[in-house]
Amino acid sequence: MTVRILVVDDHPVVRHGLRTLLGGNPNWEIVDEAADGIEAVAKAANLKPDVVVLDITMPNMSGLEACRLIRKKAPASEILIVTQHDSPHMMREAMQAGARGYVVKSNASRDLLAAVEAVSRHLPFTALNVQSAESV
Amino acid sequence: MKLRILIADDHEVVRRGLCALLQAHEGWEICAEAKDGREAIEKAGQLKPDIVILDVGMPNLNGLAATRQLTQHDPHCKVIVLTITDSDQVIREALDAGARGFVLKSDAARDLVSAVEALQRNRMFFTPRVNDMVLAGFLDKGHNGSDSEPPRLPKLTAREREVIQLLAEGKSSKEVACVLNLSTKTAETHRSNIMRKLGFHSIRDLVVYAVKNNIIQVQVPTQLQTPGSAA
Repeated sequence: MTVRILVVDDHPVVRHGLRTLLGGNPNWEIVDEAADGIEAVAKAANLKPDVVVLDITMPNMSGLEACRLIRKKAPASEILIVTQHDSPHMMREAMQAGARGYVVKSNASRDLLAAVEAVSRHLPFTALNVQSAESV
Repeated sequence: MKLRILIADDHEVVRRGLCALLQAHEGWEICAEAKDGREAIEKAGQLKPDIVILDVGMPNLNGLAATRQLTQHDPHCKVIVLTITDSDQVIREALDAGARGFVLKSDAARDLVSAVEALQRNRMFFTPRVNDMVLAGFLDKGHNGSDSEPPRLPKLTAREREVIQLLAEGKSSKEVACVLNLSTKTAETHRSNIMRKLGFHSIRDLVVYAVKNNIIQVQVPTQLQTPGSAA
């Protein structure tokens, strides 16, 4: 069955990159994109995607706030955070906000596909760099 | 013949986005990718691309230092600097380093193709927001009859700037020596010269200097960021 994905990042070039990486799996479909948290919440509520790939640092509404709201408005959607923050503290906050997975942008090419695969099956996926992970 | 482009950014997801964006253009090809400035210089030396696109905030050797080295080695080298910040200082440094294009990452999907086209025709390109700032600065200079540049910083060599970045990233003199293929003693001499020139007494001072002068970029916790301030 096709996994429907909503991609959220404020930088169009990053959205392009995420699309390219995710396009490698024929069973996944990018249903839409959003450029900030507010747009993400509205589109998630409307489209009910299986997975929301969500950046944290965005204008208007941060990914963490969007994460909390998406949990309420589209409870069946799983949220995968893809962020520049390689930080155990931020990862903990994201998981507390309701994310199912957490991937650091610099490792996206290594972790993104496995993470989407996991969260689409409602399994957790978290990966920091070794140095950061050691301090969890 | 195809226009050959080298892309350097430390985030693969950004490189993928840039590749998708540029490869869609007929007659252009990505001849190489690099994940930091040092790798970009090495690959540019081997492959002689027509255009080099460099992110500013990269580890080991940032995009501004890499631009300086590329244009010093080959004054005809066409570099587009890609950055998340449009601060006066970064723009001035990019121009000073010899960049012919300046594109904000947030505008890359809109402006990068235009920038490459401009450089292909031997013109310069600045993201419109930067263009306005450059023009405003020029007009301001004309009205006031004075230069609004900040006080001149002590003259550092390209090698010293490289050493500053590596030290500020937390590397020891021995590690700096290893990265730059120097003896540990030479790396220590560079370190002493830098500290003397800048009047610093601790690595902490050096890290603050490196952050303030965009030699390294640090992650700011989300709560402290202004909207749109980072990727």
